[in-house]
Amino acid sequence: MVAIIEKRDLRDFDWLTTILAISIAGFGVWQIHNALPHESYWTKQIVGIGIALFAFFVIVFSDYRRIIDLAPFFYGFGLLLLALVLTPLGVEVNGQQAWVRLPLIGQFQPSEFAKIPTVLMLARYFGQKKGGALTLRETLVGVAILAGPVGLIMLEPDAGQAITYFPMLAAVLFLSGIKIRYVILAIVAAAMLIPAAWIVGVKTGKIKTYQQERINAILDPESVDPRGYGYHTVQSVITVGKGGIAGIQGDSQTSQSVLKFLPEPQTDFIFAVTAENTGFIGCISLLLAYALLLSRMIAGAREANERPATLVIMCFATAMVFQIFMNVGMALGVLPVIGVPLPLMSAGLSALLTTFCAIGFVVSIRMRRFVN
Amino acid sequence: MKLNDYTQNVGMRMITIQIVAFVLLTLLGIRLYYLQIVQGDYWSGRAENQRVRLIPIPAPRGAILDRNGKILVDSRPTYNVVLSNEPLKQIDNISDRVPQYAQGLNLEPDFVAERLTLIKKQNEFEAMVLKESATMQDIAWVESHGLEYPELRIELQPQRFYPHKTMLAHVLGYVGEISSKQLESDEYKSRGMRPGDIIGKGGLEQSYDQFLRGRPGYRKVLVDSRGRVQSEIEVVQPQSGQDLVSTIDLDLQTTAEQQLENSVTKRGVIIALDPNNGEILALASAPSYDPNVFTQGSKTPEGRRQIAAYWQDKNRPLFNRATQGTYHPGSTWKIPESMGALQQGVITVQNSNMACGGGIWIGSKFTRCMGSHGAPPLAYAITKSCDGYYYRLALKMKVEGLIQMVETFDFDKRTGIDIPNEKVSQTPKSWKPIIEKREGRWSDIKTVYASIGQDTVVVTPISLLRAVASIGVHGRMYVPHLMKEFRPIGAMGEEGSTNYFAARSGFGFDRPEPKMVPMTDEQYELMVKGMWGVVQGGGTGAGIRIPGFDIAGKTGTAQNSSLNSGGAKDHAWFVSFAPAFKPEIAVIGLIENVGFGGTHAAPAVKGVYETYIATHYGGVPPADASVETKLVAKR
Repeated sequence: MVAIIEKRDLRDFDWLTTILAISIAGFGVWQIHNALPHESYWTKQIVGIGIALFAFFVIVFSDYRRIIDLAPFFYGFGLLLLALVLTPLGVEVNGQQAWVRLPLIGQFQPSEFAKIPTVLMLARYFGQKKGGALTLRETLVGVAILAGPVGLIMLEPDAGQAITYFPMLAAVLFLSGIKIRYVILAIVAAAMLIPAAWIVGVKTGKIKTYQQERINAILDPESVDPRGYGYHTVQSVITVGKGGIAGIQGDSQTSQSVLKFLPEPQTDFIFAVTAENTGFIGCISLLLAYALLLSRMIAGAREANERPATLVIMCFATAMVFQIFMNVGMALGVLPVIGVPLPLMSAGLSALLTTFCAIGFVVSIRMRRFVN
Repeated sequence: MKLNDYTQNVGMRMITIQIVAFVLLTLLGIRLYYLQIVQGDYWSGRAENQRVRLIPIPAPRGAILDRNGKILVDSRPTYNVVLSNEPLKQIDNISDRVPQYAQGLNLEPDFVAERLTLIKKQNEFEAMVLKESATMQDIAWVESHGLEYPELRIELQPQRFYPHKTMLAHVLGYVGEISSKQLESDEYKSRGMRPGDIIGKGGLEQSYDQFLRGRPGYRKVLVDSRGRVQSEIEVVQPQSGQDLVSTIDLDLQTTAEQQLENSVTKRGVIIALDPNNGEILALASAPSYDPNVFTQGSKTPEGRRQIAAYWQDKNRPLFNRATQGTYHPGSTWKIPESMGALQQGVITVQNSNMACGGGIWIGSKFTRCMGSHGAPPLAYAITKSCDGYYYRLALKMKVEGLIQMVETFDFDKRTGIDIPNEKVSQTPKSWKPIIEKREGRWSDIKTVYASIGQDTVVVTPISLLRAVASIGVHGRMYVPHLMKEFRPIGAMGEEGSTNYFAARSGFGFDRPEPKMVPMTDEQYELMVKGMWGVVQGGGTGAGIRIPGFDIAGKTGTAQNSSLNSGGAKDHAWFVSFAPAFKPEIAVIGLIENVGFGGTHAAPAVKGVYETYIATHYGGVPPADASVETKLVAKR
């Protein structure tokens, strides 16, 4: 699949995007080290970046069109992996059976990898659309493509991962001519239905106590039981707030994560660790880096000369924005605790590999923007 | 370009997505600004509060020594099981812990429950002792359940130890945890006491608590979310309390305690003091209690049972008879009374004779004397303890004269001894207004009874000894006291830093000027002559004579049940000083419910004098401790 590297390819190679992604991941390694300096997560993450970069270059130097053509195959493979999670090969961690352990390969999270084939499948289907408003039939096909992986992920159950799939479909539908009035209708409906669903959910007991506590921790962090499910939110806010302007810069004496006040510091709460160690300056720099990366991705989408390529990039970009907002919002105590990793930052090979693959598509598309 | 299809307007939609993305990131930035810049200090403080913990290091309490430096009380290391509050806060159902602790540490469930309720009211980082003097099994249990009960830890604590057990218990008192009532009192509040603090309770431990107690230090440590210590930030070493050198002479004390132990009823008081300065050499009150039970046992079921038994014991072992017991003084009362009569001019040194008459008729009632003494002079009346003499003397003094005498010898006040809860004697001074209100007038029979230390007269042994001892030193009435000096203690830490404790200098007892009881040399000589005769002149205490060592004393046999009721036996008294004309030591003995003072109390006092001679003069009294026998009083 690896095409011959031509001079033209190197000339058009998107160094900025690549270096941005590697820099953020490198910054992430430092924060993982700050989070738990005496454990091996940060060294594993360096190895993970190496593996991810290999996958990244494989994708960059492959012709993305051929890959999109093979989307149904990858999609099927993705569903197979997700199904494996539910077999005895699946591994349960913290009450969620979200991992698979395979001989030789080791333990990984299919719900992360499955994002790639899902995006490709969506791009392939909607990329063939010629013009005009989105039809109901097209919408239903899009929903069906998403329903496969999301349905399997909900069986794990892993609501956090499942929820990250929806922005991809939303982006595709939005860019495929969905009428603006439906968009507005959807926003209004959401604004009304979410509180209504909350009230009904609490009344009927469908929303479990710990879930309610997580929401209450957002609405009123001082009054929740700091030892209950609101604990994570309260501790994360303390960790972020104490970072101040410049942070503690790796002082493990007072580190909230080293002292185990902050749970899951190397994964879900890596942003709180960043805030504690690098302060406002570091956090704003990180958010600006993400903004720049997203701008480069969206610019790539705009410059792409064919519809599937645009959709692939926009899907990934939207998913990435959504994940950043969910993860950072959770760390800052404005969104409930849902296990969504921070792209490029959180420790974990599956997420890292998936994100680098996604950026690989962006760079690959950008490199081939003048090719017809 | 085909992407710019009008109906889809893809370009605009992509820009919309980009704008939404930037808006979301900006919102996060604003929230970050609010948390880190606006509220940064607040969250920083919250974080510090949860990771920094102060672990107090108790300060060793000062020892209490006898006047020769022998240990009376000290502190030795023991281990406590301590309950910290902070990890407890994350436990939902705290009552589950009650049976677990009770079983693991062999504690009473009620006590554990009480502790848990108490600690819940404290600040997050407070700790409280769950079990004192933990055994090796307790320590092993706590260590092995570290994961299950992170709130428990073992702490080294100096434990108050009373090596002489029941001896001196009433003088020393004991230490214990401050009670909730005491915590609310201004006295302890102003000193910044907190629940769980150990304070002196009773005796010298209470009186001099602020000097005996040290200044606790602390360890400031870094803890993780489960309360486990990660590292030490700062250590402030405690400063020990000052050592108290008491006036007690352990040899005399031992003898006094033995004398009471060997007495018939094993109930009574012996006090010895130096009449020249008020220093108490021995103070024994029997029965006694073991202060160790209070300091070590109050947390165990057995200890609590023992304490309850002390409270319920009808012989009242917790009661300090020397300062809290009030007894009819009987004939010992005749000494201050005689002095009062001389001062008031009711009798004179030259003419002190008064008829005995074998008793006296008051109205239709005859109150008799134990013998028939004719019309003796004062010295003979003292020596033979002639009641008839005093009936008439008191009638001549009138009740007003008795009241004046009461005021002269401070029987209407506390002596000011430096241990708490001293009682005031009750005399005709306090009774007269009550009697007059109840019966219309103070009748002569009351004066007659008062003349021999009965009826309206009850005194504390310490006040009686103080009054009688003053006569031996020409009327100098010192405040009896138990504190001789506090030894200095050095400074701790570096001056100016947070761990600095200034040195505390030593100091002696701040002795007030003695109250002067006015008496002429002739009056003094006459009084002492009479008292000398009691032992050396064939008087009521002749049985305790020690060759070469003159004792001036007075026996007393006090009826203690209401008159003519028959009931309990009399209390036996003997109050004295010696050598008679150059006193170095004054001793009082009271044995409850045994009978005659001369046969029961006087021998007990003699034992103290013998020890005094043995320890101070190698068993041979000095030459000037005895006078010619020609002093013997005549009728």
